[in-house]
Amino acid sequence: MATTPLWLYYLFGVLALVVVAYSVVLLMSSVATRRPLGWDVDISHLFMGLSMAGMFVTRWAFGARTVWELIFSVLLIWFLARSIQSMHRWGFHLSHFLIHAVMSFTMLLMYRFPLSAPIGAMSASAKGSRLDPGFSFVLAFVLFASAIFTLASPNKGASRHGTHAPAYATGGTAGLRAATSHSGEQITSVMSIENLLAAPRLEDASHVVMCVAMGFLLILML
Amino acid sequence: MSITETRVSGPPAASASSAGSPNSLTRPPRDLQRTFQLALATAWLLDAVLQLQPFMFTPGPNGFSGMLRGLASGNPGWIAHTISWNASIVHHHPVSTNAAFALIQFLIGFGIVSTRTLKPALALSIVWSLAVWWFGEGLGHVFSGGATPFGGGPGGVLFYALLAILLWPRACSDQPFVAARTVGVKRAKAIWVAVWALSALLSVVGSGRSPRALHQLVAGMNRGEPGWLTRIDLSSGSFFLHHGTTAAIVLAVVCLIVAAGVFLPPHFTQATVILAVVMFAVIWVAVQNFGGILAGGATDPNAGPLVIVLALMYWPLTNDRATVSDVASDPALVAREV
Repeated sequence: MATTPLWLYYLFGVLALVVVAYSVVLLMSSVATRRPLGWDVDISHLFMGLSMAGMFVTRWAFGARTVWELIFSVLLIWFLARSIQSMHRWGFHLSHFLIHAVMSFTMLLMYRFPLSAPIGAMSASAKGSRLDPGFSFVLAFVLFASAIFTLASPNKGASRHGTHAPAYATGGTAGLRAATSHSGEQITSVMSIENLLAAPRLEDASHVVMCVAMGFLLILML
Repeated sequence: MSITETRVSGPPAASASSAGSPNSLTRPPRDLQRTFQLALATAWLLDAVLQLQPFMFTPGPNGFSGMLRGLASGNPGWIAHTISWNASIVHHHPVSTNAAFALIQFLIGFGIVSTRTLKPALALSIVWSLAVWWFGEGLGHVFSGGATPFGGGPGGVLFYALLAILLWPRACSDQPFVAARTVGVKRAKAIWVAVWALSALLSVVGSGRSPRALHQLVAGMNRGEPGWLTRIDLSSGSFFLHHGTTAAIVLAVVCLIVAAGVFLPPHFTQATVILAVVMFAVIWVAVQNFGGILAGGATDPNAGPLVIVLALMYWPLTNDRATVSDVASDPALVAREV
């Protein structure tokens, strides 16, 4: 009998919800400053966080499975398109959009191959139609590698601004400020708060939480 | 396969390039030692999450503590006693011990990422690897004669410690391969020879050359594996049953060739590194079954991927790459380049 402590799942669930809250704040500040940079990543973190919190703590789950599948299908197509667009523009490279496409795909798979047992007894009793463990392992490894390499990246905040904002990519936060400086004086104070909230390390941390939590769910599916 | 490739993952940054498309951006080549450090960090992060599987928190003979207790057999009495003592602690405190084990591995993984905590994390990596080798791998079955490299002998976790030593940060980088950066060319080559000579020896001593033991090694792994891996296991198990001794001798010979490869001209060294990578990739899949991860309940991916990382660290670098590593590791020089 599997006896994983429940607090572990609550811990991951709470962390996912913290990322959700952070994403909401970033989206709100993006609207306030009329600066749409990285909103798609924030939206994806929002949905992934809500969804995974419900996977870790069943009581927190809501929404029909079909709706979640639809959301993650749209996100998958969106990030694939942005990856292709980024490669078309900057030449062949591993765009950060690609890892968001992988994350959306992973979420979609977790809904397509639902676990037949409640969490805590998952790995022991998942039967029937289930995701191939080899595929789960590869996806988990890619997510863990993304977490580590994102944290170590010299271009902080790559999860949100990555390859599609060359000014940011070449200048870090200074580039971000330069990119937003035309927004007008009336929103200067909002921008300073936004810059504080959009601290690159916080953005990277939210990406790491998403990757590790998703990788953990994949490992539980083995 | 080129190790001087500059287009790598992550955002393009730093400098505009006249080559390629007008919009293309290039970045300074990645510091390879740093890349290998991050690969090691990824392995530790994977291990940390594996430690959180339900099996690890399960007390009794069917849980993690039962698995640990089983590792005591075959070892000398006093060593077996220490392994049983550790298993007993895990048995009585499965939640706190496993949470602590996972936390340590998270600390190592994320510690390696930050340059400020890199050294303490690598030091902890060495200490923790040795502890796991003793208490969690039963000293890799070295004393029971079952430490064949087919099964990950002399112990997959030992390679974590070895990589941590070879990846200890050092500014000097005009070396012919990454592994020489910390310990120097002579010592790095000596380590290479020792690793592969030991692997050759372990291939043919004890039960390493026994067809039945090798067959059991594979047969014991395939419980709970996905169908496609079970089919591979059946093939490799059957192969070992009929040609186990020959396979062990061939592995020993290949290990000796790989050991000698580091003294050969670069092109031959590359060939032997590729040989080592291919050989251990095949062993990792067909014999080690990805460390048993796909069946659930594994604590690490076994030796296969670590040996592959070790081998790649001995890949001969071009002169450009060797000198550019210095540039990549020095922010001032990078700024000047930009």
